[in-house]
Amino acid sequence: MPRRAGRELRLSDSWRRRLPLLPALLFLILLTQVPFALSVYYSLTDWTVVPPGPREFVGLDNYRELLRDDFFRDAIVTSIQLTVFPVVAALVLGTAFALLLDRKFFGRGVVRTMLITPFLLVPVVIGLVWKNQMFHGLYGVINWVIEKLGGAPVEFVSEHPTLSIIITLIWQWTPFMMLIILAGLQSQPSDVLEAAKVDGAGPFAIFRQLTLGHLRPYMELGVLLGAIYLIQVYDQIAVITGGGPGSTNVPYYVFQRSIGGGWQFGLASAYSIVVVIASIVIATFALRVLSRLLKGEAAA
Amino acid sequence: MRATARASLIAMLLAGLVLAGCGGDDDGASGDRSINVAIVDNPQMNDIADLTPELFTKRTGIKVNYTVLDEGTLRQVTTRDVAAGGQQFDVVMIGPFEAPQFGRDGQLTDLNRFASSDQSYQLDDIIPSVRNALSYDGKMYAAPFYAESSFLMYRKDVLDKAGITMPQQPTWDQVADIARTVDSPDMAGICLRGKPGWGDLGASFTTVLNTFGGTWWSANSDGSVGEAMVDQPEFREALQFYVDLVKDAGEKDAASSSFNECLTQYKDGQVAMWYDATVAAGLLEADDSAVKGKNGYAPAPVKETDASGWLWSWALALPVTSSKADLGWEYISFATGPRYLKQAGERIPGGWAAIPPGTRESTYEIPEYKEAAAAFAEPTLASIAAAPIDNPGTTQRPGVPGVQYVGIPEFQDVGNQCTEQFSAVIAGRSSVDSALENCQNVASQVGG
Repeated sequence: MPRRAGRELRLSDSWRRRLPLLPALLFLILLTQVPFALSVYYSLTDWTVVPPGPREFVGLDNYRELLRDDFFRDAIVTSIQLTVFPVVAALVLGTAFALLLDRKFFGRGVVRTMLITPFLLVPVVIGLVWKNQMFHGLYGVINWVIEKLGGAPVEFVSEHPTLSIIITLIWQWTPFMMLIILAGLQSQPSDVLEAAKVDGAGPFAIFRQLTLGHLRPYMELGVLLGAIYLIQVYDQIAVITGGGPGSTNVPYYVFQRSIGGGWQFGLASAYSIVVVIASIVIATFALRVLSRLLKGEAAA
Repeated sequence: MRATARASLIAMLLAGLVLAGCGGDDDGASGDRSINVAIVDNPQMNDIADLTPELFTKRTGIKVNYTVLDEGTLRQVTTRDVAAGGQQFDVVMIGPFEAPQFGRDGQLTDLNRFASSDQSYQLDDIIPSVRNALSYDGKMYAAPFYAESSFLMYRKDVLDKAGITMPQQPTWDQVADIARTVDSPDMAGICLRGKPGWGDLGASFTTVLNTFGGTWWSANSDGSVGEAMVDQPEFREALQFYVDLVKDAGEKDAASSSFNECLTQYKDGQVAMWYDATVAAGLLEADDSAVKGKNGYAPAPVKETDASGWLWSWALALPVTSSKADLGWEYISFATGPRYLKQAGERIPGGWAAIPPGTRESTYEIPEYKEAAAAFAEPTLASIAAAPIDNPGTTQRPGVPGVQYVGIPEFQDVGNQCTEQFSAVIAGRSSVDSALENCQNVASQVGG
């Protein structure tokens, strides 16, 4: 015991400060990195649970299989659609709402809370509400309005599965974008805006030439964080369509290939590794933007 | 500084203790009289979960810890637990798709050994087709708690008004004619499942496929999977028939409708006929149903075969990994034995009509049940008894017996992927040709 304590005393200052973090770090590694390493290993085997068979090492076979799989290619296309469209639309809508909320008016707090609500709901609930109360051919509000206006009812989920899911995702993610943009707007120095006004710039010119530039890093952050979450959307797909052409994205396909009926854990692991890599790429960009934002704020 | 080092050491030790604690979760459980049971979330199972403390635990001292899961999750959990060798549950609820396969692979305990030495259990009272479906090589691997077939439900008043009588044993062509005749803007002719999933659209469609003379795969003489048969004319004919019928005279939002959606629409008066599980009849004739007393029931429609109704059962099984097989059997004997059915009828909120149907012949001799379920008891029993479990179509099937599925593990996956394609055809987003081509590709990857 004395020997050990003595050695620890000799440790450099920075290491001594890091030491209390180690248990947490260890725990984190156990919880995240060990399973990840295991799935990398599984992705190199032909592990199939049903029917049970020997688990053999097959090298990169699963990854080769993945390139040949038409369904996987469709799932990638769907993943891209379900990520890009909601992120862009939510950003545009979120910016619009943020600009409105940036003004002072009576009841602003209440309005802001109500606008944030969609983001606080459980994704499964969002899916069920939209499927049954909004999109439904018989009981849906949207079709009720269409019929009142004299149109023919549209079976949204059946005929336009991708669009249906995109709409619910936009609804869910607009508040998130709004909050980030609102934070950006409120950090805008007011003296610059006043100076612009004195110089005779109209509100549109001010928005285009000053505000938009100021908001850019915030928008980038919103887009990247949104993309990281949206690339792994699962709940809405499971609830609204239960998969199928145009709504099975890569994570849902991984589910189907593994515990969703395929039971090919080796192959499914390979698919999921691909998702992880894509997420890491996006996350790296996100972190870079975030650190730039923080640096900028520290300098200001 | 010395104090910080010591504090961090303590923190690490504590973390170690916490981790060790996580691992030793079930140390205290061995030796006590409690069992873990995974069941499906349906009204009959919820009833027994409520009654277990009063009817079972009080008598035997065995505490039952229920985990209630929806069908999809239950299948994931039980397959993981049984097939992948987990040890979470002492008793699991499975169906005829799983029981013979798991039993064959040596993952379930043979229940005949327990059942034949248990006088009160009355093994021979179990309806033969159900028992057969849950057995492999003469050994019963799961005890049925509930069983169902499929049949055609129709609104007698609607058909009467149109001057139509339902034949004793309708054919699909007759049913399609009736559906197209009674179809109107306010009321669809028939509700058929269109939602992707091997247990949703896959189940309804496969019974149609069988009776049209088609099959998913041919079988080799040893019962293994032969060639994929999705590209054969019979398969195309069955799919074309199904899709056309749903498109012409089917329910709204057909491509996302399954049992629950059809139930809602039928009870709402939105459809005139409905082909689905026999268990639906109990819900249509319930006191709170708007269509109570207005319904007729006909056997599953046929074409090339004599009977086409499916067979499903929720049944309890003992994984070989459980160390409490004796306690597990005591529970299974209680839950699936004849005594519970009589006790439940007097106690459950739904009354006699809501007791678990289809498992025992003696159920259909209980006077109270016969009275409460007069409208559907006989058609249900007849459908279950007639379900062509061993010979569902016109050709031999690979794998273990099955009607609305093919008894091979890969069917779940193939069924899911193909029904997604078929559902897209029903929604008008794809064509029969391309769906069949994609499906044939998927099915060809199995066996061969």
